[in-house]
Amino acid sequence: MKILIIGGGISGISAAKVALAKKHDVTILECAEEPGGLMARIANCRVGFKTFLDEIVNDPRLTIIKQGKIASVDKKEGRFNVTLEDGQSLIADRVIIATGLSPYDPVEYKGKRVLTSLEYDQIIDQRNGELPADFNRVAFVLCVGSRSKEYPLCSSVCCSYSLREIKWTLQRAKPAITVFYNDLRYFGQEFYLEKVYRDAGVTFIRANSRYFDEDETGVNVRYFAEGKMKEERFDYVVLAIGLRPNPMLESLSKFFGFSLNEYKFVKEEEPLKTDVEGIYVSGGALEPMNIKDSILTGFGAGLRAVRNGDIGSEVMPVDERLYREEAPVIAPPEGAFDSCLFYIATDDPGARIFYEFVSSKFIAMARDLKRAGKNVYVVTRNVVAPSYDELEYEEARREGVIAIHLEEGETISFVDGKALINGPGREFVLPADRVISFDDYAHLFKDGEFLSLYRSEPQIRWNPTRWGRKKYHVGFIRHPRSERWEKREIFGAFGEMLLDAEEERALPQVNEERCSGCGSCKDACPQKAIEMEIREKVIAVFGPQVATGEPIAHIKEDTCVSCGLCASTCPSDVISYPEIPEKGNKHALECEIPQPK
Amino acid sequence: MQTTDHIMELAGHRQEDFSVCMGCKVCASVCTINDLDIDMNPQEFLLKLFMGEEIKADNPLVRYCTSCYRCASACPWQIRIPEVVRAVKESLGIEARFEKAFKKSLDIWGRVYEPFVVIMSAPDLLMGGYIKFLPKWMEYAGFHFPHKVKRIRTSHTLKKGSSSKEGRS
Ligand SMILES: Cc1cc2nc3c(=O)[nH]c(=O)nc-3n(C[C@H](O)[C@H](O)[C@H](O)COP(=O)(O)OP(=O)(O)OC[C@H]3O[C@@H](n4cnc5c(N)ncnc54)[C@H](O)[C@@H]3O)c2cc1C
Ligand code: SF4
Ligand code: SF4
Ligand code: SF4
Ligand code: SF4
Ligand code: SF4
Repeated sequence: MKILIIGGGISGISAAKVALAKKHDVTILECAEEPGGLMARIANCRVGFKTFLDEIVNDPRLTIIKQGKIASVDKKEGRFNVTLEDGQSLIADRVIIATGLSPYDPVEYKGKRVLTSLEYDQIIDQRNGELPADFNRVAFVLCVGSRSKEYPLCSSVCCSYSLREIKWTLQRAKPAITVFYNDLRYFGQEFYLEKVYRDAGVTFIRANSRYFDEDETGVNVRYFAEGKMKEERFDYVVLAIGLRPNPMLESLSKFFGFSLNEYKFVKEEEPLKTDVEGIYVSGGALEPMNIKDSILTGFGAGLRAVRNGDIGSEVMPVDERLYREEAPVIAPPEGAFDSCLFYIATDDPGARIFYEFVSSKFIAMARDLKRAGKNVYVVTRNVVAPSYDELEYEEARREGVIAIHLEEGETISFVDGKALINGPGREFVLPADRVISFDDYAHLFKDGEFLSLYRSEPQIRWNPTRWGRKKYHVGFIRHPRSERWEKREIFGAFGEMLLDAEEERALPQVNEERCSGCGSCKDACPQKAIEMEIREKVIAVFGPQVATGEPIAHIKEDTCVSCGLCASTCPSDVISYPEIPEKGNKHALECEIPQPK
Repeated sequence: MQTTDHIMELAGHRQEDFSVCMGCKVCASVCTINDLDIDMNPQEFLLKLFMGEEIKADNPLVRYCTSCYRCASACPWQIRIPEVVRAVKESLGIEARFEKAFKKSLDIWGRVYEPFVVIMSAPDLLMGGYIKFLPKWMEYAGFHFPHKVKRIRTSHTLKKGSSSKEGRS
């Protein structure tokens, strides 16, 4: 089959990998000078993208067309005849839309010292040898161009990427950093990072600002916190710009006939599929999402596109490698009451990955209760409602659910059917016959092997669903979030399995002679694949021989996923990867999704 | 009686157009009143309204809101706070000098001319003991927008009565 992938970003490349692994002919149509998309514009990610692309770039079945623009599309007998502006024509049996996202351009706020995060990424990129001379105070302002009347979705990645920017900033310099936020919509592991940076002195303020008074030497930022108007001076202000639908989707939808939804993203008729037969969709063309999910959906769309006899969306395919767990049920409060207060907050960073799940359940319950005529309050330290989930939160507020943001440092206590909110700037009481609190449910989630808790940051290998060689996590146990993701993840996992079967896995090897037994690798391993073994060693130094036990690291091959974290952690540098042998002589394992019965 | 419904009716908007407020306090960061060191947070004003708390005539927003619409143009939801403030004033039977000056300025010049507004409302400032803020006000009056709070839209393009559901179905 001939597969046409529109968009050479990370998601399009991921889709191409799966289609190539199944020995199909793939054409990637990229409108820019080079493939790469947004990822190649992010600090230090260019290399990651290139490595990813290099794995397929020499495949004879792959064609990459650069600076290609579509002039017309004809659909005949289920095939697409695509003519480009330069006259070239292409034939495709299947098309994957992977055109990505369009970063918001806040022209009304930008300046020499008020930068967008894309501009800031250029500053902290390792290739940029010199940081600016005055780099002592940096402010991050979140939610610029998202969660608004113009664009009501949450861009879902800007909280996370700002955290990454903080990380890379602190790796190079030690400016004082302040983050102005509405919510901190992190993903998995990043909640731990948040704690790390808080402990390291990064200031988080739950108040946003649009007052940026810039002059030659700095920017004054005003914000309202602790009941007071405050003004602080920064050297640089970084605006966490939102990610909006690619405007070119409009013309593509006309060319190919697929529909867009009301927010101008591609309408997902079935998971990763448009409403036109033969046209699939992945990555940022679906909704704002991070790199890992762009890869995941790319794998999934690639797999769907090359499968014959596509399965419908309602069937849960069976494969013993696919691992899922039912999400716990959060039941609405019962009995008679007038007012109900939902409290979305937790101090336990290990429980924070459930913010997303709990926020959406609580908001849905709040809406139901409000419709039933109750007084409903949602008091929050952090509401995690990324992407489309923000719309639910918006509707709740419209319907009269009263949302109260607790600032940092404000406290809430519950006494006799009342909630007391107390802080430096205000003090008030809310009626609360019922209180439903995050921590009431935290025990439901504890001790699960949540993939995103261990691996949400990009690593040496991109494994969006792989937990172990025979275990691929999807749904709640991958990352607790909105249900629409699970079906996408299932396809993504099958795509990933296919690629894993293709790939000769390079196992890390410990040089046992030189291992000092420090155990750092064991702590670093997300898979718990390293054990410290006691090795008998015979020591004979002048005199009698003495046998002693010394620990050395042992890697369990069946659980290791070759992520490489151990090798990069080992202080003695004694873990190595053997050269990956030439591919090709190994049969691709079939990875078919069983047909519904 | 000051009920939320009544205020909304006076403001000429649906409640949801205001209650969609997400608590970001962007409005407070740009509010003109805060040039006077009054520590006003328009979002708290909205919250009070929705919690059914009574807003009194001495509320700083009721006294000093200049209807400059800076808050509304910076607000992600373009919430028209001055209109709800005006409605509260109406329910309290107050028309501030600011407002009169503001309207008159619109009549004469077809736009807000700050020096005029400040001169017209000087008695209010004097009576309220806010004379100490006068230097700041004069500074403010000196130009139209005293600092680089860049505006997305001016008050003239924010048309009254359009709903916040605009452009969405
Ligand atoms: C400042 C910033 C920082 C970020 N930081 C992170 C981070 O730290 N971690 C993270 O996980 N994510 C981050 N992201 C998000 C990340 O960039 C996206 O998740 C990812 O790039 C989406 O990949 P994609 O392939 O779907 O789309 P894109 O990267 O947008 O790629 C789309 C490609 O399609 C091409 N294209 C578009 N239209 C057409 C057309 N009509 N014809 C042909 N080709 C077309 C484009 O030229 C582009 O190459 C960040 C985003 C921004 C803006
Ligand atoms: S991820 Fe959502 S909450 Fe965070 S900055 Fe972006 S739009 Fe705001
Ligand atoms: S590569 Fe190392 S860290 Fe990664 S799973 Fe294998 S043993 Fe663990
Ligand atoms: S980190 Fe290195 S030295 Fe330490 S136990 Fe592991 S392999 Fe041995
Ligand atoms: S209109 Fe009123 S509340 Fe809004 S910024 Fe101006 S003075 Fe402040
Ligand atoms: S700027 Fe708008 S959304 Fe934000 S707190 Fe003020 S009124 Fe609410």
